[in-house]
Amino acid sequence: MADKQLACATCEPKGLCRGKGLQTLKEGAWANNPLAIQVLGICSALAVTNRLENSLVMGAALIFVCVGSNLIVSLLRKHTPHRIRMIAEVAIIATFVILFDQFLKAFYWDMSKQLGPYVGLIITNCIVMGRAEAFALQNPPVLSIVDGLANGIGYAVVLAIIGFFRELLGTGEILGRTIPAFSEWYTPNQLMILAPGAFFALGIVIGIFNFIKGPEPEENK
Amino acid sequence: MKGSVYTLVYAAVLGTVCALVLTFAASFTAPYKRANAEAEEVKNILLALNVSIPAKASSEELVKIYKENVQEQQRGGITTYVYTPSDNNDGAIAMRFAGPGLWGPIKGFLALDPKITKIQGITFYEQEETPGLGGEIVKPSFRDKFVGLLIRDQDRNPGIIIKSGGEAAANKVDGISGATMTCDKVQQMLNEAIKSIVEEKQ
Repeated sequence: MADKQLACATCEPKGLCRGKGLQTLKEGAWANNPLAIQVLGICSALAVTNRLENSLVMGAALIFVCVGSNLIVSLLRKHTPHRIRMIAEVAIIATFVILFDQFLKAFYWDMSKQLGPYVGLIITNCIVMGRAEAFALQNPPVLSIVDGLANGIGYAVVLAIIGFFRELLGTGEILGRTIPAFSEWYTPNQLMILAPGAFFALGIVIGIFNFIKGPEPEENK
Repeated sequence: MKGSVYTLVYAAVLGTVCALVLTFAASFTAPYKRANAEAEEVKNILLALNVSIPAKASSEELVKIYKENVQEQQRGGITTYVYTPSDNNDGAIAMRFAGPGLWGPIKGFLALDPKITKIQGITFYEQEETPGLGGEIVKPSFRDKFVGLLIRDQDRNPGIIIKSGGEAAANKVDGISGATMTCDKVQQMLNEAIKSIVEEKQ
């Protein structure tokens, strides 16, 4: 099966991994959304979503790290000794995370100050490691990039949704700007900025995702 | 045996490549980071001393304003930053403070009036506190509470208190709910700084 995928027969008639690629994309971003369906990586999702801007940067960071690490892990998958594959994955992931962190520190100083330790903590984010272990080790590079992108987007979108509502309800602002006609009468609810607000928001988002998606086919039996 | 050798070589090569990539990235971004850090420090000194600065000043502008308005002076073992305004304003004297926070070191500047009796301003230029909780110490809403705060209690012992609730006092400010640990640590490092400059004055 691996050989068949390496030749990328699935991509051949219709171009770049279409069919398989689209399916992977849909799977990662929606049907198997890492945050809302698998409930992975919620530590950072709870911690940085008190502002929309933080959420967006964090989402971008995860997309970058997930795509990069999936690509490298996939390229090396035939050469990595099985026994040390996880350590190798962590080393690769850590490299990408630190690259992003350095980039933020050099060019987006204020954002880097805001996010503090959470960028570095992406190294321990189960989504990144999970995708490397579950997908990139078995699949060719291009498809792995698609998978990394899909899961990154899945995470980023959920983070953005939570960040949007937490900032809106917690401060009455969006991206640090007041909203005409809303900010005047709305009394910000500090709770949404604090940790409990994160749990409420995440719980509701997970609930809505699962409601729209419906139960797993197996559970219907 | 052969497998082990391959594993070791693989690990060594992968580790070296990762290290090289990161070294390159670190040296490439170093000048930008240094400029950011310098501008940040100068900005914090100016903010603590309450020197007016344009809202969106560039790094170079900040350094220029700093050089025009602030003199560095040694006061015993402490480097102080003295601001003497041209108008009949009182001016202020700033000093560095630092200490451990909840997640990482906290560093900042504390500005006092020239007679060393009350706080004129306070800023933090390095902190890794929880965003939204302890991280709120950098917000003007928290820092402004310190302006005019006496640095001695009723018995003239140097020290301030950062605590939520409790009796009001001339040397006490309200802490941040949900960030008690950060507030305690900030209180401790500020008190050390206050004590050192008060002793230096005597």
